Amino acid sequence: MSAEPDHQSTSSVNEVNIDGNLLKEIARKGLVDALNAVNGGKTLVLDATLAGPLGLVTEVSLLKHHGVDKMFWLEAGALSSIAANIVYLCRPHIKYVKIIADQIKGHIRESRKHTYTLLLVPRVSTLVTQILEEEGVLGDITISAFNLQFIPLAEDVISLEYESAFKDIWVDGDETVIYDSAQALTTFQKLYGLFPRIVGKGDHALRLTTLLTRETPKTTNPSSDTLLSNSDKFDSLIVLDRRVDMITPLLTQLTYEGLIDELIGIKNSHVELPMSLLSPPAPAAVATSAPGPSTSPPTSTVPLKKDSTKKYHLTTATDPLFSELRDLNFSSVGKQLNRVAHRLDENYKTNLQSKTVAQLRDFVGKLGGLQTEHQSLRTHTGLSELLVPLTRTEHFNKSLEIQQNLLASYEVTGQIAAIEELIAQGADMEIVLRLLCLASITAGGIKGKTLENLKREILQTYGYNLLPLLLSLGSPPLAILLANPLPASTTPSLKYPFTTLRKSLRLLIDDNPEALDEVENDISFVYSGYAPISIRLVQCIAQKGGVLSNPAEREKVGTESTAANQKGAGSSLGGRVQAHPIVGWKGFDDVIATIPGETFDIIQQGAGEGQVLITSMLQPKEKSTITVVFFLGGCTYTEIAALRWVGRQNKGRKFLVLTTGIVNGTSIIDSIAGLGKSTSSKTVGI
Amino acid sequence: MDDHPTASWQAMQDGNVFYRRQQLYTVSGKLPNLGDYIVAGCRYGGPIALMRDHSKFIALGRSIPAVAKGQIQIYSSAGEGLLLFSWDQGKIIRFGWTLDERLVILNEEGVYRIYDLQRDYQQHSLGNEAAEMGVIDARIHDNGLVALTGSLSLLEVKGWEGGRPLTLANPGLSEPPLVWAVIPPDLNISRHVEVLLSVESTIYTVDNLETIDQRLSRGPFTHVSPSPNGKSLALLTFSGTLWVVSTDFQRNLAEFETSTVVEAEGPVRQVEWCGNDAILVTWDSLVLLVGPFGDTLQFAHSGPTFAVTEQDGVRVIGPDVCDLIQKVPSSSMSIFRPGSTSPSAILYDAWDSFTQRLPKADESIRSIRPELAAAVDECVDAAGQEWEPYWQRRLLNAAKFGRGFLDIYNPTDFINMGQTLKVLNAVRQYDISIPLTYSQYMYASPTHLISRLTSRNMHLLALRISTFLSLKPDVILHHWASAKILRSKPTATGSGVDGDLSGDDEVCKMIVDKFKQLGGAEVSYADIAKRAWAAGRTRLATKLLDHESRASNQVPLLLTMKEDQLALEKATDSGDTDLVYHVLLDLHKRLSLGDFFRLIESGGPKLQSASKLLEVYAREQNREMLRDFYYSDDRRVKSAVLSLDEASRILDPESKLTAVKAAHKFFSEDKDRSFETKMMDESVRLLTFQQQLEKDADGKVPFFGLSVNETLRTCLLNGLSKRADKLKSDFKVPDKRFWHIKLHALTTLGDFEALEAFSKSKRSPIGYEPFVHHLVEKGHGREAVAYVSRCDSPKRADLYAKCGEWRLAGKECKERGDKTKLEELRKRCPNSLIARELDQIASTLK
Repeated sequence: MSAEPDHQSTSSVNEVNIDGNLLKEIARKGLVDALNAVNGGKTLVLDATLAGPLGLVTEVSLLKHHGVDKMFWLEAGALSSIAANIVYLCRPHIKYVKIIADQIKGHIRESRKHTYTLLLVPRVSTLVTQILEEEGVLGDITISAFNLQFIPLAEDVISLEYESAFKDIWVDGDETVIYDSAQALTTFQKLYGLFPRIVGKGDHALRLTTLLTRETPKTTNPSSDTLLSNSDKFDSLIVLDRRVDMITPLLTQLTYEGLIDELIGIKNSHVELPMSLLSPPAPAAVATSAPGPSTSPPTSTVPLKKDSTKKYHLTTATDPLFSELRDLNFSSVGKQLNRVAHRLDENYKTNLQSKTVAQLRDFVGKLGGLQTEHQSLRTHTGLSELLVPLTRTEHFNKSLEIQQNLLASYEVTGQIAAIEELIAQGADMEIVLRLLCLASITAGGIKGKTLENLKREILQTYGYNLLPLLLSLGSPPLAILLANPLPASTTPSLKYPFTTLRKSLRLLIDDNPEALDEVENDISFVYSGYAPISIRLVQCIAQKGGVLSNPAEREKVGTESTAANQKGAGSSLGGRVQAHPIVGWKGFDDVIATIPGETFDIIQQGAGEGQVLITSMLQPKEKSTITVVFFLGGCTYTEIAALRWVGRQNKGRKFLVLTTGIVNGTSIIDSIAGLGKSTSSKTVGI
Repeated sequence: MDDHPTASWQAMQDGNVFYRRQQLYTVSGKLPNLGDYIVAGCRYGGPIALMRDHSKFIALGRSIPAVAKGQIQIYSSAGEGLLLFSWDQGKIIRFGWTLDERLVILNEEGVYRIYDLQRDYQQHSLGNEAAEMGVIDARIHDNGLVALTGSLSLLEVKGWEGGRPLTLANPGLSEPPLVWAVIPPDLNISRHVEVLLSVESTIYTVDNLETIDQRLSRGPFTHVSPSPNGKSLALLTFSGTLWVVSTDFQRNLAEFETSTVVEAEGPVRQVEWCGNDAILVTWDSLVLLVGPFGDTLQFAHSGPTFAVTEQDGVRVIGPDVCDLIQKVPSSSMSIFRPGSTSPSAILYDAWDSFTQRLPKADESIRSIRPELAAAVDECVDAAGQEWEPYWQRRLLNAAKFGRGFLDIYNPTDFINMGQTLKVLNAVRQYDISIPLTYSQYMYASPTHLISRLTSRNMHLLALRISTFLSLKPDVILHHWASAKILRSKPTATGSGVDGDLSGDDEVCKMIVDKFKQLGGAEVSYADIAKRAWAAGRTRLATKLLDHESRASNQVPLLLTMKEDQLALEKATDSGDTDLVYHVLLDLHKRLSLGDFFRLIESGGPKLQSASKLLEVYAREQNREMLRDFYYSDDRRVKSAVLSLDEASRILDPESKLTAVKAAHKFFSEDKDRSFETKMMDESVRLLTFQQQLEKDADGKVPFFGLSVNETLRTCLLNGLSKRADKLKSDFKVPDKRFWHIKLHALTTLGDFEALEAFSKSKRSPIGYEPFVHHLVEKGHGREAVAYVSRCDSPKRADLYAKCGEWRLAGKECKERGDKTKLEELRKRCPNSLIARELDQIASTLK
């Protein structure tokens, strides 16, 4: 609630905003406090998977300021440190704890004395204590927690940045992520107030919601100060688990940002680009500020690629152009870049026309901004140039074609033959498996014999060690690669009703010229004609009209009625309709019921409910609210883009995306296969 | 009772400053001779703890209660005995009080106990080093202690939760310091504890990083005493000079020769601070207050005294009385100082006149009109500083009177002061005897006071006060319930089983009802249940535990109560995976493996997530157990996957093969897994084949562990095409795939003749386009051209273009009469020369 006063003063009455910096500040303060608890200079040993998330909330200079002299990666092997204090910072994974135990034991053998502190993210774990005890070093180390929860990635995207959330939940059955998410959401509610309504879909989404509502104190004692009242910013929380819509991540994302993720790889908002692209007069503002070890790691496993590439932070804060580009379908990125180039050119030209000193001074004042924009344009043009050849490859286009055909259920057997062809050609394993799973879900399974044959092809081509991966994909709770008909032992409820959904949720927009216009006016632009189910589900709650028909078509009708109802207010916004209040799944209950997974709709009552009602009555009808969408198991960039699009269609409702992390089909398959990020090209060092 | 406040004042510094000696309680005959005892006093008006000083003789047969050897006795400030217990552990080194009024006793083996006033204690240890070396001395402050070990190193303990002791910087002493003191962490800028050691003529300051020799020459010192705010230090030298310096030894603040005090007899007993600006030096029967400018005040006592520094004064407990000596607060000064003409003094005077119906009242009020608000505030404040309710009331009345003349006045302070005084007067009563001053109370907070009352088992008073101050009753209820359980010993032996049952039910009901009635919703039932269990009342504990809503509180107790199944279920249900691990690891340690597995398996879907977590844990930490787990549950597929996982980690070929074979065996035992069995069979065959290949290649070419495709490729690259063919037929590799592999391999080798021959060996199952594409991709455009003619004619033009053969492409278009294609090529072509040629072809087409 502490954000409240700020918000009141800074934003206008009709606009609501969430200050992401607040969350950042909390994380930062947590870290500083944890570091300051250790007196004197210290060596920080960092779990590499935390470096990225940490880089989003803090920078190396801050760590230095708080006594961190040196930083190392947490890696197997001896640790040589001079500082008396060694601070380990990692997630509570068993493998890290063992490395730590080994290093401490090493020091004891060499009779070097250090003071050890272990900071666990996000909380202290019995498991860690237990293992340290088993290893016999528990007495030597002080354990405390660094509660790193939500990290803002963009102004409307907040992530927990868990890399393996999907695999943990649906393959290992490890529900830690769900619990941590509930904790993080509780913190969120403490800051901003209770979500008045929680609507969602999916078994694990329900589990999360149960934990969340249980976590909130239910007392009616008026003297208690921990009570939460309903938030006046949020109208609801929509929880979707990834299992509800497995199709979306399997498809190739076709927005600019999505495509960068697919083809080059975005990790913690950073993308690795060739130096040449960023080096021309690179101002400090563009340079990334991810914390990296100041010295080379003790064991040099970091590839030399470091020299030729550089991390680039994809953020709208320092890169003005990115917000215009990120959500565009890649086909229109070129056009947009062209437009910006022209605009820049115009701006530069004004220089030549400026005659008086005053004009000149005006121009010089703008120059800084222009240069930033110029550099930004250069970067994105270069980036697009990198992408274009990658989108011209045969495998890429073939896989797109297969995707589109499968979504339309067009010649399924032909598509499966095409997938087999891709295997024969030696296409990437991830692409093949994405297509195969897509085929299985859309067609309700693949014929037993064909499937076995395909699996055999895959195993022979990519190695028999992929058998566990195939088993994971094919068995519950994941079950996205199934034989048709299903073996008797599995439950029939696993079947995904894709064909009915395609009709009832208007997933596929026809490819004919008349519909082309429609594609641009619907969330389906993110997949060039296919609307992601997850976002359609959000629309079922928050923009019911958008599911049934295109809002663009209704525009004429809409403006009339709006004009009648609201007079000036509606027309000034170009006919955008006031968002309807959240009433749960109403109107789509039947459709939603056919999708496997629990459906729920819970109304939360906070303290002082009566007062809230009164104030809400007093507020103008056009009051703006934020609908929070939580993706359990990760979401894709296309889904974010689509949600932003939905948010633009109505006035009075914005969306805030919360997620356990950003995923794509490849990262999901890789994590299930247990292919360490080290083998994948997109995750080199820091 | 209505002695004028100034009656207890004594002037210092030529009447500019006054100190007052407020008599709190008379304690005549209640306390033993303090001179014979080691005493530790608790701040904030807390009790004192006594232990016989064995270095002194004690006269027997006196009427005053004597504390027997090995006993510790605790008295309140009013001399009431609060607690007496005997100590049977090792020799006591030091005892002292925590902030929350618990007594810490440390023995020479480094074991310390923290006693509350109900004699319940927690025991912690300073660790092995301290136990081996022995502890020779210690200093205990509000939130921790510093111990000096036999090896003359310093150990610090932070907080009272039994935290691990930290070793401070080694001061490098050769013998124990003469005296030493500790400045608590919260008073230092660094927020870490600082130790002051008097060594020879100097003082060492030690923190956890370094030791600094302050290079003094005035020592050795017999007393070192830091002020309550940690900013200044009082040192007493051997020669009796009292020297006050800032704690950084940069500024001399004052000096005083104690040897000049005529009345002093014997050695100095204590050097304590009175607030932050005066120092109290005590001898056996003399108490001397030394002001900041060397002025002194003497207070006589009939025997040895004990002084406890408070933040706003000093409490002196003598044989007859317990006094508070403090500087007269400015508000009291301003009102009561003889001849004071401050507005507040005039206001007080005006009110006094008013009560006596003198007309002077009106005149006085008028004269201070502009400063009236400040005068009212000062009266309110002064009320808080007075000990006697009579004067408190008078001052508040004066304030009320003045308030009446003000148009706007915020009465919050007035009301708060009234409330606070009511509370303070209540606890200052003889029978409770917590002589808390207003500023101490404000500093230590009301909740602190309430917890002190509860720890004295004064629940009703605590509850009344907390209701009066609108505080949450949770803490009190919690303590009350625990006390209730301990007091209500079940009549287990008396009335048999039935009586016992009803006893439990009754107590449980009473507690739950009381909580509901008083709104103590946030009291942890688990804590109380734990108490009940510790008191041996398992049934009551279970009953209470049912009312607990948080699993994280329930589970640990359920575990200690051996309610394994229930604990695991509750933990799983809570969604807190760490809690589940807690239970699992505990059970694994305690139960036999069979029982452990049975417990998890019998849980069914309820415990499924627990079983999954066990797998995650075991896969990293205890694979042997996991193997057993899968085996006992007949999960063949899981066993197989585990074997495969192991195989992927093993480097040694033979063991890897064994692991894969094991996986094969597991799969074969599940009839639904015929496909997987077949695949594993293939895998085994491949690995064996690869071993053979490596042997044939004299280990120069690595094959082992490659996929079928890679093996084929490696064979082809190393000229083992016969082997490749055999592999192809053995593993039924489809033609299409094989052709792709061979195409790629031959291109890599650059063996275009072989490629040519291969392409002609039979009709290509993949067509010839892939040949063109792949060759071009690898930069062999020229070689690719030859294959274009074998492709489907409609595609040839594009393929030629791809090879860079624009003219051929044009020709192709011409042959097919495809004008649109030609146009398109024309647009795409790289230079004007070609464009012209294409134009030419186009013209011939017409």
